[in-house]
Amino acid sequence: MYGWGKRNAAGALSLARGRGGRVKGMPWRKYAVIYRLVLLENLQYAANIVVGFFSYAVFIYTFIMLWEYMYRTPGELIAGYTKEQMIWYVMMTEMIWFGSGAASVAREVSTDIRGGNIAYLMNKPYHYTLYVLAKYTGEWSVRLPMYAMLAAGIGTLMVGPLPGFPLTAVPGMAVCVVLGLTINAVFKMCISLFSFWIEDAAPFQWLYDKLLLIVGTMFPVEIFPKALQPLFKLTPIYTVFYGPAKLIVDFSPEKCVEILAAQAVYLAAGCGLMFLIYGKGVKKLYVNGG
Amino acid sequence: MQAIQVENLSKTFRVKRKEKGMRGSVKAIFHPQTEEIRAVNGVSFSVPEGEILAFIGPNGAGKSTTIKMLTGILYPDGGRVEVLGVDPTKQRRQLAYQIGTVFGQKEQLWTHLTPHDNFRFFGAIYDLTERETEVRIDELSERFALKDFIDIPVRNLSLGQRIRCEMVVALIHKPKVLFLDEPTIGLDPVVKENVRELVKQMNREEHTTIFLTSHDVGDIEKLCRRIIIVNDGRIVMDDSVEHLKSHYPHKQAADIVEQDRGNEAAGSGDISDASLEDIIVEIYKSQGEE
Repeated sequence: MYGWGKRNAAGALSLARGRGGRVKGMPWRKYAVIYRLVLLENLQYAANIVVGFFSYAVFIYTFIMLWEYMYRTPGELIAGYTKEQMIWYVMMTEMIWFGSGAASVAREVSTDIRGGNIAYLMNKPYHYTLYVLAKYTGEWSVRLPMYAMLAAGIGTLMVGPLPGFPLTAVPGMAVCVVLGLTINAVFKMCISLFSFWIEDAAPFQWLYDKLLLIVGTMFPVEIFPKALQPLFKLTPIYTVFYGPAKLIVDFSPEKCVEILAAQAVYLAAGCGLMFLIYGKGVKKLYVNGG
Repeated sequence: MQAIQVENLSKTFRVKRKEKGMRGSVKAIFHPQTEEIRAVNGVSFSVPEGEILAFIGPNGAGKSTTIKMLTGILYPDGGRVEVLGVDPTKQRRQLAYQIGTVFGQKEQLWTHLTPHDNFRFFGAIYDLTERETEVRIDELSERFALKDFIDIPVRNLSLGQRIRCEMVVALIHKPKVLFLDEPTIGLDPVVKENVRELVKQMNREEHTTIFLTSHDVGDIEKLCRRIIIVNDGRIVMDDSVEHLKSHYPHKQAADIVEQDRGNEAAGSGDISDASLEDIIVEIYKSQGEE
């Protein structure tokens, strides 16, 4: 019998068991299903991604020309990087930037909150933030490998393979890239979740993106003044761009483990922050009636 | 046994006010002005298990805000809510397993997927096993006559077909309470009738409690025995439809209005529909004058 304060009796029991026998111990299954559906949807539109290749190619060509000019003598080092390492570094970071398409995750959350669509997503038995993350993972799972192939192709043709890069490093690097993308998405979601309080979180997204783009993707951290470098390593730049890209130019198992450990800490902290902001913000939700 | 219990429920929204023109925009930056709007003001009612309740009122009366508080989407400012013995704000996700929602003005189906794939997706979201989902799909597609279009992408379906699919999504996990927010909006009379029959059938066969908001008097008259009318965030009437039709003091006035319509209403051969509509309009008007 339902009634005030009687939820621990029949109410709680029925909530736990449901009417039909439910899958227990597989809380991630629903997110895997969301991921699969979005992946299949994005595979249908894979041809559209090719259009973005042009921007990436122009960007990379410009940087190759820039570094060709900067490195006047063969074997010269700038901030500890050879010309080939510098170009591969930029190609890697830009591949992550273009392949992640993280703007979509920020846009989706902001639009859901400001437009009230979140109300219709919240009343399902999943966590809204994980729902968005699962969708986003389905998006980049198609885009990122395509950009990775493009980057490998352009790099090999225009710069040549990196001397001393072991192919056995690829799995470790891939894990670092995936974790980096996820960390970036989590932080972008945290910013978008401020839409619960402020009218538009876009200016904060812009600042975050520009910080990552300029400091994280165009140049390695070592280019910047020594005093600033420890500061940059505390920002998501280290775990999202610098760490994974550094592995391509200077791979070692120790460095890979160090980056993975930093990413684990960042991901745990980022997710904690995301759940906290969402939990607080959802109480502030204002949705127009019908 | 009460499926829903609401006591002194209140919700206030704070909305921004801005004077017109550029001057108003600049002034709003330095001296933002806000206004409090009481969307729901001390509402109390209960709904026994298995009842079909009409919860109606003019636009902006607080109907959808109440539904959103009952489903845990919005947090009340005051009062208490229990749905199936639990507080929706504290156990929203657990409650989601036991309730279903259909918002006539908001699609929850994934339009690029077929209805069948959508049902499988929502089955996974509600933690049903694949076998359970398939059994339920067979059962509901039979009942809702979906066989002819269950494998056609949702984007290619008519509005009537989509609403039937929305109903199946809302019922896939055998909810104990179904919230229907204007489920027949935009449908032609034949499809409306069909949807009403299906709702009645679900209520009869699965003993589902149904909480209905609609501006269509036909929905109320053909589905509900009890009606709650809200206006300006307050309950202005809580009565049985039969009692309302036979004892409402304005009935005579409503009858006059009906007679004034002349042959048009009489010719339709459905005087009872017009009568309830006139009574409801009278109640809305009398509340507006107070």
